[in-house]
Amino acid sequence: MMSLVELQGIKKFFDNVRAVDGIELEIENGEFLVILGPSGCGKTTLMRMIAGLEKPTAGQIFIGGEEVTTLPPRKRGVSMVFQSYALYPHMNVFNNIAFPLKAQSREKKYDKRAIRDKVENTARLLEIDMLLDRRPRQLSGGQRQRVAIARAMVTQPAVLLLDEPLSNLDAKLRANARDELKEFQRSSNITAVFVTHDQIEAMGLGDRIVVMSHGKIQQIGTPQRIYDDPANEFVATFLGSPSMNILRNDVFSFGFRPENFLPKTLADNPENSRIFHYYVKRVEYLGSDRLLYGYVQGHDNELTLAKVPSNVRVSLEVDSDYEFAVHNSDIKFFDKTSGQRITEQNLQEIL
Amino acid sequence: MALLIWILQNFWSLLVLAFASLVGLRIAYRFHKYGATRAELSHILRRSPFYLVVLIFCFFAAAPFMIMFLHSFKVDGDLYRRPQPFVYRQDPTLEHLESLFTNTAYLDFIRNSVVVGVAVVIITLILSLPAAYALARLTGRWGERAGILMFLVYLVPPTLLFIPMFRIVVMLGLKDSPLALIVVYPSFTVPFSMWLLQGFFKAVPPELEEAALVDGYNRVEAFLRVVLPLSLPGIISTIVFTFTLTLHEFIYALVFITNTSRRTLSVGVPTELILGDVYFWQPLLAAALIIAIPVGFAYNLFLDSLVQGFTMGAVKG
Repeated sequence: MMSLVELQGIKKFFDNVRAVDGIELEIENGEFLVILGPSGCGKTTLMRMIAGLEKPTAGQIFIGGEEVTTLPPRKRGVSMVFQSYALYPHMNVFNNIAFPLKAQSREKKYDKRAIRDKVENTARLLEIDMLLDRRPRQLSGGQRQRVAIARAMVTQPAVLLLDEPLSNLDAKLRANARDELKEFQRSSNITAVFVTHDQIEAMGLGDRIVVMSHGKIQQIGTPQRIYDDPANEFVATFLGSPSMNILRNDVFSFGFRPENFLPKTLADNPENSRIFHYYVKRVEYLGSDRLLYGYVQGHDNELTLAKVPSNVRVSLEVDSDYEFAVHNSDIKFFDKTSGQRITEQNLQEIL
Repeated sequence: MALLIWILQNFWSLLVLAFASLVGLRIAYRFHKYGATRAELSHILRRSPFYLVVLIFCFFAAAPFMIMFLHSFKVDGDLYRRPQPFVYRQDPTLEHLESLFTNTAYLDFIRNSVVVGVAVVIITLILSLPAAYALARLTGRWGERAGILMFLVYLVPPTLLFIPMFRIVVMLGLKDSPLALIVVYPSFTVPFSMWLLQGFFKAVPPELEEAALVDGYNRVEAFLRVVLPLSLPGIISTIVFTFTLTLHEFIYALVFITNTSRRTLSVGVPTELILGDVYFWQPLLAAALIIAIPVGFAYNLFLDSLVQGFTMGAVKG
């Protein structure tokens, strides 16, 4: 059984820029896949190629077992929610949602009533059924987003593509919209591909996350896997806020997350931990946490952060030295030149 | 008829009276709404210099039309007597207006101009809508250069082109026919409209079209259903502009057509009503005014989107 969407060796070059550089990816039926990466990493281009809005320079795309690489968007059974929502300003909400149905009705022969029923059902599902007569400019950001999703959903596409649909919402709405989107995807059991640069969105929404950088996939995995078991230095530092501390020595580099870097007195298991002498240069009080900026002995040029919960009563003063500990399993080793992860066994061999 | 003559004779006083009563009504309305208080009075006094300036500019803009209007009813003796030419000292007359419609082919000119204008507008739209869309969306660097090149064609003046164009017209056997103008006019209206429309098309976000493509339409349908309705104000102002371009074109119309009844307004009126150095001022002014008024209204109606179109094209260069 083939996956719902399969990308094989997809490349896209714009003049000499390698926007997407050899992507192999399988998207399973019913999953919520998040493509995460910094801006300019090629994630939107990749999605546009799945939609058919860009033609790959090389490689093949299969949707539902059929090759669609050169097919126009309308023949792929996909739908898309754009970052700007791209609602048609000259149509009211009803006609916006009905627009893809009207396109299909040429083959499937929907009559007016069938279109009305479908639009109203979808609108009810997204709780916008009272807005059907309005124009897009009369809607709030959150309402526009729902209309865009309704328009994408109304034809029951094989794949729903979402291009940073939450980035135009303000922060308060965003958490809410995220929750609703996930709920909606789960209940309708649709396959969703969601592009974002926001790691919180990615961690919160994705069944699996694809981390991309420079047109290449860095790692594919569940949010927990990506966070706890990064494949390379890029993934390790891209996820997490503040990002992972990376320290270098002559042979390899190693990293640990600021929240795992705690005063020795707080470590659960000091025997299995590595102890560092930590000089605290500055402390930021963030409410729930204290964020410490300082240096580990022997790495005087590499700023190292520690995130200590505020509710643990340890006094941490500026300009002082402390003993900090990281559990051995929380230390990740990376190749010094390639940045690839080194397992501990391999590390022994190198040493 | 007597009423018209009375209105003409008292034109300026009626104008002042109409204006004064409008101002009076406005003040009365404000007093009625806010009460005749000191504050209200001082508000009116404070605002009046502004409206006075507006009034001066309005008068400045409207004066040529008013003078044209007044003069077209004057008898010859009154028209040429100096000084003070803007009031009637002899009774106004309708005879010049009548002679414009009866003794000249003015109605033919209007009909020819409209036929030529409408035909050219249709041809122009058919050619320039797809061209402008292609330049706005579908081409890369070379497309933009090609667009600039096409616009350069517009800068070659008809004074240079009318002789070669005339040969072509004769070759096609279209001499003395409005068809000649219908064939030749798109040579300058198409580049111009294309440039104007391109600006409007660029203002439509490409994402909207992409949404239509994903929603199940092909590119032509996406253009017709999304881009076209959204650039309708631009298209209408392009129509108005193209039409006026054909309306005031002179050289081609003069050279290609010699038969009076087949001439258009821009050539017919001056050739019929100016004989050597004899100007038939009254019908000449009336002829110009009658055609200027609808065009003026059309322009004003679409002025905003017209200006928008020009600047969009300019910025995107």
